[in-house]
Amino acid sequence: MTDLFRFSRQPELQNPSLIVGFSEDAGELAPKVIDYLNEKIKGESFCEIEPSEFFSLGGVAVEDSVAQFPESKFYCGERKDLLIFKGSEPQFERYQFLQTVLDVAQHHCKIRELYTISGTISSIAHTTPRSILTVFNQPEFQEKLRGYGLEDMNWEGRPALNSFLLWAAERRSIPGVSLWPVIPFYLAAVDDWEAQKRVLEFLDERFALGIDFSDINEDVVKQNEKIAQLRTRSPEVDNYVQKLESNLTLTEEESERLVREVEEFLGRKD
Amino acid sequence: MGIRFYEEPKLKDPVLIASWPGIGNIGIIAVNYLRQMVKAREFGEIEPWDFFEPRRVLIEGGLLKELEFPSSKFYFQRTVNRDLIFFVGEQQPTETGTPYPGGRKVLEIANLVLDVALRFGCRRVYVSGAALAPIHHTARPRVWAVPNSESLVSEVRSYENTVLMSDVEGRGGQGSITGLNGLLLGVAKKRGLEAVCVLGEIPFYLQGLAMVYPKASKSVLEVLTKILEIEIEFSTLDKMVAQVEQGIGHLEEQFYQQTPPEVAERIRTWLESFKHKPAESRPITEEDQKWLKEHIDELFKRGGEEDDRPL
Repeated sequence: MTDLFRFSRQPELQNPSLIVGFSEDAGELAPKVIDYLNEKIKGESFCEIEPSEFFSLGGVAVEDSVAQFPESKFYCGERKDLLIFKGSEPQFERYQFLQTVLDVAQHHCKIRELYTISGTISSIAHTTPRSILTVFNQPEFQEKLRGYGLEDMNWEGRPALNSFLLWAAERRSIPGVSLWPVIPFYLAAVDDWEAQKRVLEFLDERFALGIDFSDINEDVVKQNEKIAQLRTRSPEVDNYVQKLESNLTLTEEESERLVREVEEFLGRKD
Repeated sequence: MGIRFYEEPKLKDPVLIASWPGIGNIGIIAVNYLRQMVKAREFGEIEPWDFFEPRRVLIEGGLLKELEFPSSKFYFQRTVNRDLIFFVGEQQPTETGTPYPGGRKVLEIANLVLDVALRFGCRRVYVSGAALAPIHHTARPRVWAVPNSESLVSEVRSYENTVLMSDVEGRGGQGSITGLNGLLLGVAKKRGLEAVCVLGEIPFYLQGLAMVYPKASKSVLEVLTKILEIEIEFSTLDKMVAQVEQGIGHLEEQFYQQTPPEVAERIRTWLESFKHKPAESRPITEEDQKWLKEHIDELFKRGGEEDDRPL
């Protein structure tokens, strides 16, 4: 077995909080938030998890004409209190992968808290303010974050990788929270700037990052204007959105139509 | 990676009886039934996270309350004639990147089970699974047995309604048992433990279907209870057997009704042929497998689509 991780340099960190996002996410929300954050703190990679134990390396996937390769990297930047992890979801040995993430974070970086980010699809209208549903692994930590406008999640079913990570962190007594910002289903294949902004606002407040949101605000305004144009052009789309705004449920056919119209108008990412 | 014990029972020369899920869940139904009948008590479990993916999460009021994994539990009971340890694994670890049992983890879990056996002074292990056989579902299944040492062969031959797998006609003394129900035999041999695998016969045309086959579990239990000198009540199992048999009959009839009469008749005749030679002892031939693929798989699949009663 090869070494599971490799340091390229020693990071300068002081009991940081670990922020985790996996690439495979609804609306690519997590990787977008992580990239934005990395840009703001001038984050650079200093450690990487070796892929051979966790990914099929019989070839490479090609997406948008570009060869892809699984990457699982730790970043740090100007802020000594922030450690960032961005990775592909492992295909094999998921528990060992998560243990490796936590080994690096706990033993080499001495983290104090864990934050994971993943988008969750919802049947809300894009005009509805985005909420962040949360799952904590310790009630004390949940109490500590009251006042940030987070909402409690209730769910029973198949666990996401982030829930698995949260559970593994609790076994090491690391307090953690999974942040699940809601994304309107018809924005899942395009960028939901509003949801990204909502998570970044939380992180900004929590870590006093002093983020200037003017760039993302511009993207939010532009997107809302474009959808407004579409609503004017297509009474059908307007009707569907109005229904959602009134908390009414769309039929499967109506939902598919709305998704198609919005994606065509705004342009899909993939 | 390890075993968590809830208590350390004092046991005298216990016998370990183990099983994991397999075709028809024959072994695991037998072991679980026996464990429940003798009111065995849970005393330990293998920590699952190194072997299995979590299958369910419970989140309440924003708190992660529970992450549930397939369990691998140990139970014990002292009966009049013998002390017993039961091991019931809800899932077999799979080979990395495949859905099939195998790989390093399978060997690790087999060794952990035997660690417990040795810790409590076990010298004998029974493990149970399924044997695909050319029998009809109305016939009484026999038990195929495989010991892990030559010294056990004559003993195994004396078991009632049991045939050595290597004695089954056409096998030339050969055979194989897939997954942990078989691997445990080999690992036990390596670690100096006597072990016997008892496999209940299941009609080969039922393979690959997501159904239990308690009739074969009963055959396994009849053998095991005799060996272990335990008397148990079979009435609950009998009810299950009757229910499943009725379900299979129902699927069969449904299929005949939806199939052109000449094809239905051919299949009916073919199935009936197994009814009249229940004592024939031979493995599944290639011809049987071909026929199965062409006709019988379809029979139960089609029937199953419109029948969601538990099988």
